[in-house]
Amino acid sequence: MAQQNSYLPTVPRGPGRRHHLEKFTMTTTTPLRRTGRKAVALATSLLLGTAAAIAAAPGASADDGGGTLRMPIAGIGIDSMNPFLAYFAGSLDVFAGIYPALNTVEQDGTAKPYLADSWTTSEDKLTWTFKIHKGLKWSDGKPITAEDAAWTFNLIMTNSTAATANGSLVANFASVTAPDDTTLVVRTKQPQATMLAVSVPASGIPIVPKHIWESHVTDLKNYKNDSFPVVGYGPWTLTDYKPEQYAKYDANKDFVLGAPKYDHMIQQAFKNTDAAVAALRSGQLDYVSGLNPVQYKALKGQAGIKAYETVGNRWSGIEVNGGARTRDGKQIGTGHPALGDVKVREALARAIDRATIVKKVRDNLAKVGASYLPPSLPQYAWEPSGSDKFDYDPAKANSVLDEAGYKKGSDGIRVDPKSKRKLEFRLGIHSDDDADAKVSTYLAGWFKEIGVKADIQAMSSSKLNADLAKGDWDILMDSWSTGPDPTYLLGIQTCSALPDSKGEGGSTDSFFCDKNYDDLFLRQQSAFDEKERAGLLQQMQAILYKANENIMIYNANGLAAYRTDRVDGILTGKADSTGAYPPQPSLAQYLNAAPANASSSSGGNSGTVIGASAAAVVVLAAGGVFLMRRRSSSDDRE
Amino acid sequence: MTHHEPLTQADPPVAVLPSASTDPAAAVAPVAVKPRRNGFGNFVRSFVRIRSGVAGLGILVVFGLLALCAPLFISGNDLDVIKVDGPSLHSPTDGYPLGTDQEGRSILLLVIWGARSSLSIGLMATVLTVVLGSAVGLVAGHYGGWIGKALMHLTDWFIALPSLPLAISLSAVIGQGTSSITIAIAVTSWSSTARLVRAQTLAVEAKPFIERARALGAGGPQVMLRHVLPNVTPLILVSSTLTVASAILSEATLTFLGLGDPTGISWGAMLNSALSGGAVTSGAWWYLYPPGIAILIVVLGFTLTGRAVETILNPRSVKTR
Repeated sequence: MAQQNSYLPTVPRGPGRRHHLEKFTMTTTTPLRRTGRKAVALATSLLLGTAAAIAAAPGASADDGGGTLRMPIAGIGIDSMNPFLAYFAGSLDVFAGIYPALNTVEQDGTAKPYLADSWTTSEDKLTWTFKIHKGLKWSDGKPITAEDAAWTFNLIMTNSTAATANGSLVANFASVTAPDDTTLVVRTKQPQATMLAVSVPASGIPIVPKHIWESHVTDLKNYKNDSFPVVGYGPWTLTDYKPEQYAKYDANKDFVLGAPKYDHMIQQAFKNTDAAVAALRSGQLDYVSGLNPVQYKALKGQAGIKAYETVGNRWSGIEVNGGARTRDGKQIGTGHPALGDVKVREALARAIDRATIVKKVRDNLAKVGASYLPPSLPQYAWEPSGSDKFDYDPAKANSVLDEAGYKKGSDGIRVDPKSKRKLEFRLGIHSDDDADAKVSTYLAGWFKEIGVKADIQAMSSSKLNADLAKGDWDILMDSWSTGPDPTYLLGIQTCSALPDSKGEGGSTDSFFCDKNYDDLFLRQQSAFDEKERAGLLQQMQAILYKANENIMIYNANGLAAYRTDRVDGILTGKADSTGAYPPQPSLAQYLNAAPANASSSSGGNSGTVIGASAAAVVVLAAGGVFLMRRRSSSDDRE
Repeated sequence: MTHHEPLTQADPPVAVLPSASTDPAAAVAPVAVKPRRNGFGNFVRSFVRIRSGVAGLGILVVFGLLALCAPLFISGNDLDVIKVDGPSLHSPTDGYPLGTDQEGRSILLLVIWGARSSLSIGLMATVLTVVLGSAVGLVAGHYGGWIGKALMHLTDWFIALPSLPLAISLSAVIGQGTSSITIAIAVTSWSSTARLVRAQTLAVEAKPFIERARALGAGGPQVMLRHVLPNVTPLILVSSTLTVASAILSEATLTFLGLGDPTGISWGAMLNSALSGGAVTSGAWWYLYPPGIAILIVVLGFTLTGRAVETILNPRSVKTR
């Protein structure tokens, strides 16, 4: 019912949209989730990534007195330089630097001017008028006009290829026009309170120069956007890019929001955070994000390096298959029928000792998870209260299952009275995710205590996503981050995100579907009053919490570090009482980062690090060499 | 090691055990049963004389015993993350002679327990490798003709394939876990065994006693299994000892690269979680060295043993010694 008029359309299943939210800050920890292409690159990247990144880093040592800012490519890298197709965190981060947006959004949700100086809405809230800043020029000297923005939006609205990455953001748009060079008029089908989250750096739609892209529309799918320098506008101009290696930029000293304090920037590819940390320590990098707690603690005490945490903008938890189905209600997949019982899901939620995971896996650099929206959005945060709370309580979990008739068999595993199947669930984890592997062993242990067997299955992200889409799963570990606007994150739990009657499409995250939730979702879209909207979002979270199809475990803090002797101003905002800073939007970081005055010194104990890793490699290699020598001598004799 | 030289004297058909050939005295033994026993005795005597071999075997015995007896002194609770209460990623300390991992488990116990999985995957992969390789080699050598050619082209093709990328793609296709790693190792390493066995099969089949068997009416399978196989067995044995070493190494490599079971306990998995968990950055050497050194020692053990066995069974190396 709700699906017809829902604002959130069905975007093709696929990696796409998921990642928008992933990359809002540069401190995004675990890279992209639910991305199909990740696994393909994984094996090679593990093998070659580190070495290639280090070997290929151009100018890494060519330090011209702080003229070059040296960053890692964000997340797991860049999937495409075409802003209509790309969804990896690394790409979105690049676009934030080289393509403009209508406005920016501060972490507290307030919108600030970027291309648009100001904006107004009509009485009926259906028409938005943006005033575009006069006199801005693309990097090739042509003026930036409202027509560029209108053309970009219209292309995404009318061309399905162009809609790959950002289609859902304009789904509620009726028309976009540019009556003159400085006026952009957007008419929406329904009032849209989230208009100022549509075209924002990194998590929104980047605006591209019409005069460049017009000729590429017919071949948009294959266009790589690789004629350098790339014509754009932003703090940087992309001058060179080698996939899996580096991206080079020149600064735009006339940037409307203030010139970058560096002349150049190089982003290097690191597939392995440990390698990036080693590069930071040895002075080849100025900044590293996505640290795990062990790396963070190791860097914390080191002179010349500032390691900091940011408030978590991510949830990590499990999704439970409460009955995978299509939009028209047809059951699909091979989910365990017992998980359709809310009592079983409640027992699972009560079996998880979240505090222990926060302590032992995240080293207390996380918050115990409960609400669907992370702590970085305190204005929307919701907390379960008193008796509604599914606290860690194995005894209660056991009694819930006992009462519901799930009797323990002789092997201690409970049996579903209806289907007669044992409560033996597949627990799918991302094979390349260290935290998944760690957390899942705890989960399996706790589930055992309540007579539930978890069979941990490590899968590549693409396999995991494919199984998810088909409903061929019981429990999955997952993690999602969000920018300042949570619409997308909430949208993946709506009924309209379920696959169509053929079982295709849909961006659902857990096959959750609830009419009340969908009604609230629609209402919050049109809720122009922040308070009212926050109230609706909290009600939605309460519904999600009760259903236990998405069981939150923790909200990890973002962990990052930079070299204080080389760079300054990376960190913006004030730390809260626990010492965590607000999440750091990449655009702000680009503009604030400034060369530090202190002369550079080489990394502190990088020697020991290299020693330790070298030892591990040597130990592995020694046997190999030994064998190889042996083998070659026997070949000689043959 | 691939060529067993033709026996130094006229072969009585009974002297089919090539180990006998290392000692001329045994080869002339007139009774069929006796050389077998003598051959084994001689083999042991020769083996004991090679010190490196004895050292290798000693290593294997120690690790084998540790792995087999591990359940006697390591309880499930010692390795269960929700039960252990050690300090997190702590250097060697009281009660934890090799330190702890991030969950507070004793590295020493993990290394000992990891031996079970590493050794069993190594051995299983070897058995698969040897069975597959020997079968292909025997059939190719015995039948020759287009069957042999086709099989050898297939073998050449597998030899030409780079084995690590092949193993990685295989475990990506089959799915993750120990069984897929085992299969991936076997699929990528059977080809050299097949070549060795084929060469030896050709050599053996050229001998008069095979002709005699054929004259007496023995069919293909009879010749292959009753006459050729026993003669290539020592070669297979040597080859497999060495294959175990590389299989263990491959297992560690593939698991280290994240293609195994990330929640399981094996040496490769320990190195993998040490690396992904940031042990290198934090300088947690006690997490990296023990599994690495364990791999080194066990691989060394298998290699030394294999070399010793090879030296004894290869008549040419007897001459050169």
